[in-house]
Order: sequence, then C-alpha cells, then structure tokens
Amino acid sequence: MSISLENKISTAQNLTAALSRVGDKNNVFGFDMIGEALQFVEIEGLPTNKHEEFKYCNVDAVFRKEFKEINNSFSEINMPPVVVDAINVYIINGRFESVSGKAEGLVICDLVAAQKTHKEVVEKNLGAHAKPTSSVFVALNTAYCQKGLFVYVEKNAKIDKPVYIHYLTDPISVSVINPRTLIVCGAGSNVQIIDDYYSKGANFFSTHTSEIVVGENAQVKHYKIQNEGDNAFGVITTEVVQSSNSVYDAATFIFSGSLVRNNHHVRLFGQNIEAHLNGLIIGRHNALIDNHTYIDHAMPNCNTNELYKGIAYEKSSLVFNGKIMVRRDAQKTNAYQSSKNILMSDDASIYTKPQLEIYADDVKCSHGTSTGKVDEDALFYLKARGIGDESARKLLLQAFAQELIDKIEIPSLHDKVLELFEESLK
Amino acid sequence: MANEILEEHINSEYKWGFTTDIESDTFKKGLNEDVIRLLSHKKNEPEWMLEFRLKSYRYWLTMKEPSNWAYFPYPKIDFQEISYYSAPKVKPELASLDEVDPELLKTFEKLGISLEEQKRLTGVSSNIAVDAVFDSISVKTTFRETLAEKGIIFCSFSEAVQEHPDLIKKYMGMVVPYTDNYYAALNGAVFSDGSFCYIPKGVRCPMELSTYFRINSSGTGQFERTLIVADEESYVSYLEGCTAPQRDENQLHAAIVEIIAHKNAEVKYSTVQNWYPGDKNGVGGIFNFVTKRGLCVGDYSKISWTQVETGSAITWKYPSVILKGDNSVGEFYSVALTNNHQQADTGTKMIHLGKNTKSTIISKGISAGVSNNSYRGLVQIKKGAVNARNFSQCDSLLMGDKCGAHTFPYIEIKDKTAVVEHEATTSKIGEDQLFYCNQRGISTEKAIGLIVNGYCREVLNKLPMEFAIEAQKLLAISLEGSVG
Amino acid sequence: MITIKNLRASVEGKEILKGIDLEIKAGEVHAIMGPNGSGKSTLSNVLAGRADYEVTEGEVTFNGKNLLELAPEDRAREGVFLAFQYPVEIPGVSNINFLKTAINETREYKGQAPMEAKDFLALVKEKQHLVELDGKLANRSVNEGFSGGEKKRNEIFQMAMLNPSFSILDETDSGLDIDALKIVASGVNKLRTKDNAFLVITHYQRLLDYIIPDFVHVLYNGKIVKSGGKELALELEEKGYDEIKKQFETV
Ligand SMILES: Nc1ncnc2c1ncn2[C@@H]1O[C@H](COP(=O)(O)OP(=O)(O)OP(=O)(O)O)[C@@H](O)[C@H]1O
Ligand SMILES: [Mg+2]
Repeated sequence: MSISLENKISTAQNLTAALSRVGDKNNVFGFDMIGEALQFVEIEGLPTNKHEEFKYCNVDAVFRKEFKEINNSFSEINMPPVVVDAINVYIINGRFESVSGKAEGLVICDLVAAQKTHKEVVEKNLGAHAKPTSSVFVALNTAYCQKGLFVYVEKNAKIDKPVYIHYLTDPISVSVINPRTLIVCGAGSNVQIIDDYYSKGANFFSTHTSEIVVGENAQVKHYKIQNEGDNAFGVITTEVVQSSNSVYDAATFIFSGSLVRNNHHVRLFGQNIEAHLNGLIIGRHNALIDNHTYIDHAMPNCNTNELYKGIAYEKSSLVFNGKIMVRRDAQKTNAYQSSKNILMSDDASIYTKPQLEIYADDVKCSHGTSTGKVDEDALFYLKARGIGDESARKLLLQAFAQELIDKIEIPSLHDKVLELFEESLK
Repeated sequence: MANEILEEHINSEYKWGFTTDIESDTFKKGLNEDVIRLLSHKKNEPEWMLEFRLKSYRYWLTMKEPSNWAYFPYPKIDFQEISYYSAPKVKPELASLDEVDPELLKTFEKLGISLEEQKRLTGVSSNIAVDAVFDSISVKTTFRETLAEKGIIFCSFSEAVQEHPDLIKKYMGMVVPYTDNYYAALNGAVFSDGSFCYIPKGVRCPMELSTYFRINSSGTGQFERTLIVADEESYVSYLEGCTAPQRDENQLHAAIVEIIAHKNAEVKYSTVQNWYPGDKNGVGGIFNFVTKRGLCVGDYSKISWTQVETGSAITWKYPSVILKGDNSVGEFYSVALTNNHQQADTGTKMIHLGKNTKSTIISKGISAGVSNNSYRGLVQIKKGAVNARNFSQCDSLLMGDKCGAHTFPYIEIKDKTAVVEHEATTSKIGEDQLFYCNQRGISTEKAIGLIVNGYCREVLNKLPMEFAIEAQKLLAISLEGSVG
Repeated sequence: MITIKNLRASVEGKEILKGIDLEIKAGEVHAIMGPNGSGKSTLSNVLAGRADYEVTEGEVTFNGKNLLELAPEDRAREGVFLAFQYPVEIPGVSNINFLKTAINETREYKGQAPMEAKDFLALVKEKQHLVELDGKLANRSVNEGFSGGEKKRNEIFQMAMLNPSFSILDETDSGLDIDALKIVASGVNKLRTKDNAFLVITHYQRLLDYIIPDFVHVLYNGKIVKSGGKELALELEEKGYDEIKKQFETV
C-alpha cells in the first residue's frame, strides 16, 4: 500500500475516500470518530514552530522533507533477545502481533477483539482520554491505527510479572506507523508495564498514542525505554487518568532517536493521588528530543513529583516543557518539578520551559531547573586522585544519572538500562 | 518607606484618580498619515523625524495586533477611537516656571512632585531632577543647569530632537527598532514626547533623574519614549513614576524605553508603576503595553531594572537586557501586585551574547481578588557566550482562592559553559503567621501588609532611597484622601 | 487577673479541653505540667484566641473583661502574651520592624501616641541585654533561620519588649541549653512584678528550679486533675505520670 502523506494531510478534502477505510476491520474506531479526526487534521494541518507547543520542535519541516512520499512495507523482524522475565507483548510495525505468557486477572489482546470481549471498558475509555481533536498526531493515529493493543488488569489483580511491550519497527522504506494502546487498570490492581521501543531499517514516523487508566487504589509502574536510533521520528502521546488513592509512577529513558517528541499527560481526577514522572534523556548526533509533561491537579490533596535529567552531546537539542496546572478546587496540592541538564558540546542546545499555572491558594508548588557543565570542582577532585579526564567525566555523568536509573525496581531491567546508559557515554 | 506602598495598595482605593481641569490642545480621534504629519508639524520636527514616524506607521499597518496571551480576556482596542496628541495649552517656550499653568503645577504638587527647584533643595527630599510628562507632553524638566555643568543632558525628547539631533539619530531605535513589535511600531509613529538623557564619558550623575508620567485627558493614549545613553565609565540612576485619573474607559499606554550602556557604564532604572487599575468590578483602567529594553553594548557595562507594579488594568511588560559586551551584567528585580480584575503579565528577557555575562532575575508576584498575575521570562544563552551565568527566582503569593498565579520561564541554552538556574515557588500567607502577629497585638490587615512586605524585601531593597521618598509622597496624597 | 471557669474547647469536632477551672492572681506564677497531648498548648491557644479552636462551654474573665469575646490582637493589646511552643518564621520582616508595629498598634489601641524612634531603640537595647539576645538577631527576619533555642529566646525578648500583664510560656524551656535556660529564667524573674502573672507550661522540673512557681497543676486528658505547690513538680519528676494516668484513665 502506498499513499502520499501530502495527500494524507489533505485527505479530508476527499473525506469519502478516506472514510471508505472505516470498512477496515483492523481500525477499532468508528465512522464518526475517524471523520472527526480527519476533519481536525484538515483544519489544523501540521503544527509549525510558530505553534507555542512546538516552538522548539519543528515537526512540520521534518514531516514535509522526510515523509512526503511513504510506502508502508516492512521486513520480517527478528525478535531481540528477552532479558527480563515478563509477559511479552509484541507490536510489530505498529500492529499488535502476539503475546506470550499470561497471568490471572490480566487480559491482553488486540483492540478490535477487545471491542467484543470488553465492550464497555473499551467504549468508555478509547478515544476519551486521547481525544482525536487534542492534537493532529492523535487525530492521525485515530484515523489510521490498525490492530491496537488492549491491556486490561482486572479489579484487585496483582500481576507479579511485568508486562513487557516490545514496539518493534523495521520498514523497508520511509514509513509512518500508528500504534495505539489502551491500558486499563482496575480498582485496587497492581501492575508494572514496560514500553520498549526498538527499530532498524528505513526512517519511520510514529504517532504512537496510549491511554492509561489507573483505577481507584491501583498502583501502576510504567517504564519507557526509547532507543530506536537515527531512523526514528515521532510524536508519542501518553494520556494517563487517575482515580482516587491511586499511584502512577513513570520513568522514561531515551538514548537515541532523530526526532522524539513525548507528550506525557497525567490528569488527576480524585483525591490522595500520587503521580511521579521521571526521565533520563541522552541526546546524541543531531537528535531533537522534546519531552512535554502536563500534570493536571483537578482535585484536592494530591502529590506529584517530576524529575527530568538530560545530557546533550554533539549537535543534539533537548527540550523539556513541563506544565503543572492546579485548578481552583485542588487545595492542599503538593507539586514539585525539577529539570537538570548537562551540555557536553559546543553545538548542543537545551531548551527548558517549566510552567506553573495555579488557581488555588493553599498549595505547595515549585519548579527548579538548572543547566550547566560537569562540575569542575568534582572533576578536579577526581583527577587529583589519579583518575583520567575521560573516566572522571564518565563517573560524574554516571552519578548524575544514577538516581533515575535506580528508580527501576526490576533488577534485570535496571541492569539493561544501566548498560544502555554506559554505552551511550562512549 | 517604599514598603508602605504595597501595604496601602492591598486594601485601598486608588488615590490618584483626580483629574486636572486644564485647557488642552487635543487631536481629534483617529490615526492616519495626516495625523502623523500634523503631529510632527506641531512639534516643529525636522524632516528625518517625520520620515521615521511615517516609516514606523507604514510598518505598523502591515502588522497584526498580537494575539492575546491565552489567559487574559480583554476588550479589543479600537485604534481609531484614540486621540494621539493632547497637550496642555501653554506657550511654546517656557522662560520660567511662572509661565507654566498654575493648575498644572498644582497637579504635580498634589502628586508630590515639586517642579520648583528651590523647594526641592530646601525640602526634605534630596536631589532629584524631574522631567514631568503631562498627557503627551513634557511640561518641565528641573535642574537642567546643574546637570549641564557636568555635561549631562536631561531634557524632554522633543527638545532633544531639536537640540541634539545627532545623538537622537544615532541612538533612537538602536535597542528597540520600530519593527520590533506591534506597539513599538505604533509608538514610533505617534510618540509625542518623553525624556532623553545622556551621561558623558566618566561622569557619575550626581542626582537621581526621574520622569513622572501623568495621563489626564480622556480618550487619549499616551505614547512616550525614553532614551538613556550612558557613555563609557558613567553612572546614572533613573526613576519613573506614573499615575492617571479614575475613568471608566480603558486608556492605552504604549511607551518605549531604550537604554544604552557603553563600556564600564552602569544604569539603574527603577519604576513605581501606579496607573489607574480600574475599579473593583474591572471597569476602566490603563492598558499598559510597554517595551523596555537595555543594551549592554560595552564590556563590563551593567543595566539593572527594578520595578514595583501595582497599577494598570492590564500590564504587559518585559524589561530586558541584551548582554553584548563581555563581562556585562543584567538585573531584573520585580514586584507585581494585582488585585480585583487586574491582569499582569510581566517578566524579563536576558539575552547573553558576550563572554562572562551575568544576569539575575528576582520576581515576586502577589495576586489577590480575581486577578491574574504571570511571570513570563526568557533567558537565552547564545553560542559563544562563554561562561554565561543566570540565576532566576520567581515566587508567587496567592491571597484568596479566586486569583491565579502563573510562571512561564523560557530557557534556551546554546553554550556548554553556561550555568543557568531557575527556581519558582508558590505560597500563601500562613494562618499561623497571621495568628503569631495577632498575638503580638498586630491587626490582621497590618499583619498582611507586614508579611507581604517581608516577602518582597529583596526587591524593595533595590529601590534607591530617593525613590522611596518619592513613593512616600505618593502615599501622602492617599492620606489626604483627595479624590478629584 | 484571669479566671477560667469550666472551659471546654474542641478542634475539628474533637473535644480537647474538658472543663478547666483556674484562677491566677496578679503577682502569681502558675506552672502546668502534663503528658504529651494532654491539652496544654490547646489551653494556651484558646486563651490567645486561635481560630481553629472552638470554645464550646465556659468563660474566661481577664481583668474584668470577657476574654473570649475579644479578637486575638485585642487580647494581646489587653496584655495577654503567648510565648509559642513553635514560633513561626516570617521571612523578610525584620524583628525590629515587627516589634515596632506591635508596640505602636498596642499604643494606638490604648490611645497613646506612637513611641519615639529613639525611645524605641533604647528599649530594644535594654531588653536585648536582659535576655542576652545577640544584637544581630534583632535585625534579622522574625525567627527566620533561628535555631530552636534562639527562637525561644526571641519569644522572651518580645515579651520583655511588650511588657504584658499575663504571659503564657508554652514549653519555652525545651530546646534550650543550660546556660540559655538560666538566661531565660532570669529574664522572666526580672520581669516578674506584683502586677503581672505567668502561666508556665513545662515538662521539666529543672525550669521550676529557676522560676519558682506559686502553684503547680497537672493537666491530664483535658482536665486539671491535680494541683499543689512547687513540691508537686518534684514529685512528678520522680514518679512520672503513671499513677495519675492509672487513676484517671477511665475518665
Ligand atoms: N489543630 C489541631 N487539629 C487536630 N488535633 C489537634 C490540633 N491541635 C491539637 N490537637 C490535638 O489535641 C490534643 C492536645 O494537643 P496539645 O498540643 O494541646 O497537647 P500538649 O499538652 O501541648 O502536648 P505536648 O506536651 O506534646 O506539647 C492532641 O491529641 C493533639 O493531637
Ligand atoms: Mg504543647
């Protein structure tokens, strides 16, 4: 199948043609939703860097240059070795392929199947948290996703093994993929989720969109490992909604990518909620890695914490844009955010934009950001102990990153990420 | 002390809302090239000045009014509904103070600004040279002779155009070109007056220089321009104050301040902005859209902005420093207090170009009533700005749960040797702090004042003593309770 | 001076003071002891007029006035002083400015003219000396960054400055080293006159060696369960609260 993206963007002019895709049994969304999505794409177009939310992330230029003509054809994928004892889920070239392993209270299948088996859950949540009209990329995803992934953790189910989702992509020529994920964690459940992105082959652009629902009293740990190399482009959207007394704890590790835009949004619809968003980002080559976080405190007595650290090498650019919204009713909110960066090259750049938007008075909110170089005093101290310049710098960078890597509670995953980190320092 | 301004402000009505009954020469409402020509003609301007105005105007016509920041709804401004020139009817040349309309003198007297030099010399206040701007026109600049002895030029912008055209031509638009933004272009077209100040090489200005702005006529906008040039090794401290009568219409104030600091020069610019903020229901008040920017052009130069913003219905203002010279320093100290329906969106831009440049940002926002108060700032470290440093601290204090406090810092770093730190916090006045004060016999109202002042102390300490006295005079008016 | 009758008070619907009766005359020093959580600080907060505490029953007469009807600042102006167990920090407000405001507001309340700056400064000097407070502390922000002991000493300094007729010292001795304890105690003793009175809340007999009380009361579970002379403190020090607890547990 070959389509021109230029066409794709203006497909809505030709709505009927596009809507004929509704017949596609692999897209879970219905006629109305796809129509709405395409119309939105038509009206909005791709955001340029004049768009406040894409100020430092010129997706438009990349898209027009790289993805003008696309062919969606992929090679067979050789599965990378599995290092973590887990329930393994494979999303191949943006489509749900298979799952190995199971656990009581855990359902994993493709979204189309889930629409039949878990009609209510799917209907209530799919497209409700990541609305097609919330961004052009979510809209494109809505219109073109195929064989999305559905993960359902039943009420009070405690899943011992992590759910390890392998997103594997290997296009033969320039492609766009539209993976879609819905994860619903029932009340009182407990689960660990790992998103591992891996790719080779030609350049591809991903519009991966996830919705994660964290029920009352549920505890969800979410690890993201992005290491797709220079062929990876994408705007990845993760919409999390939490109910009362739940905990959502996310840690993102990015080691490569050409243009990676992560939108990680958490909405707190309940009281006594805890949310953590952490990230370690290594920028290499010409990478542009843009992390946008948004935490929406809608109700009182919630605590949130964010820590993002970046190391920028060569000609890479790292962007951190973190917004904390505290609405009128969200009294007794505690919200902290911190972003720390180290620049390793004359050609690298760091852009940070931490934002607080506060409408309640009895709250404790703060953000801090710092950017600098490797601590010269510490460097000197290490050298004075006979450690060479390069090793000393490495040690200090390791110290800088350690607290984030240590947030990984699964030992085998911890080691894997540590290894990736050490490799990235070379 | 200056602290009391805040204290008074929190609960008090606007005390400077009187109007002066004075005959003025006001243009018909509306803006076109003829209006600009007429204005230029009235001011007897040279051809190049008219050219500049027309160029600005034509450029302005091609621009779009900036789309509103997401947070603040405000009524659309009809630029044809504004009169672009209003001046007290006075003789064109003032030989002495006696020729100034006595009503005008009284107004400034009432505002605590004495235009009679002897009075200032013998009075409690120390030496401050004042340029008083009434509506669009500079009515009197004091102490000119004293300053002239040192080679300092301090006069109205119009006079400078006549008497120091070379300096004006050289520096006007150097920091804020008319192409800079919508209101800068508009100002370039229609600015009526303002202050000009030049400190020659090696001179420390012996007194504070001050401009006092007063809008009086209704239906007018105020578009003034201030240009301060500090030559090598010089120093000046500059103060700006402003008030306006109480009216139920919105009035536009779109000023430009440009500062140029040459090698080793230092300029301190302090503002107490007290334009009419509108009433309790958000009716009336000044729209304060000002472009203020300093250029540290020489090595080791320093520009420091200090502002206490309590007035205006809407304030958009980002006093900035371009740190071009090596080892130059930029500072921004700000207190912004909003109450009732006021909206303030203020902050700074620090653009680091030179080596070893340093900037400090301290911003204290206080929101009360149903107001919104935002800090919006940019710290930019360009490639080659080796060893640039920035420290920013932005604190917000919320009083009540109907207001908003927001922080939007943009940090862009392109040099690996840069060290940039930004911190922001939000807090409220603690119940336990209030009770502690109460227990010592201090009323809640007073206690709030004390605590708010304490919160702003870092910034208030940066205001020059003289300005604190000026501020106190403004307060004296409030004690008189004289509402016009 | 102050008469407390059947005082009951609750916080967030929970009754903490369950009927307190106490009379303190001018010139007297009363000590209150009692286990943690028995309601000692609650009593001082209620007397000072803290908002979170709801008085449900009883009355308090202070120099003939109904104390409970007065706003907290008016109680202070009438001469009630509370040395807080946990003094709060007020960033940016200098101690001096704070005290000047407090004194002048009180003077205004009493219809007196504000104190002359030089008189005020002389008073600061004198009282600073009294509690041996480092001059630098007076110029710093109220309690900000003060050590625990410095905060307590600052409370006594403020007391000396404001010259109240009735002072409540809520565990002013805790956190003080031995020297500081002596200084604070001697400060209090110097301020003692036949016209003022003190209510000293403490856990330790030690303080009462220096500030000799006329009466000692034991507060337990929101009630004064035992009263006596200064020897009661010694007895408690020795035996602890076990006996009392046992005796009143069922209450
Ligand atoms: N604001 C409040 N909210 C809820 N409970 C409170 C509050 N203040 C006091 N209490 C409760 O009231 C009881 C008495 O507290 P209080 O502070 O008066 O004790 P105390 O005798 O001073 O103890 P300590 O010796 O530890 O200082 C405690 O159980 C305490 O938890
Ligand atoms: Mg206590």
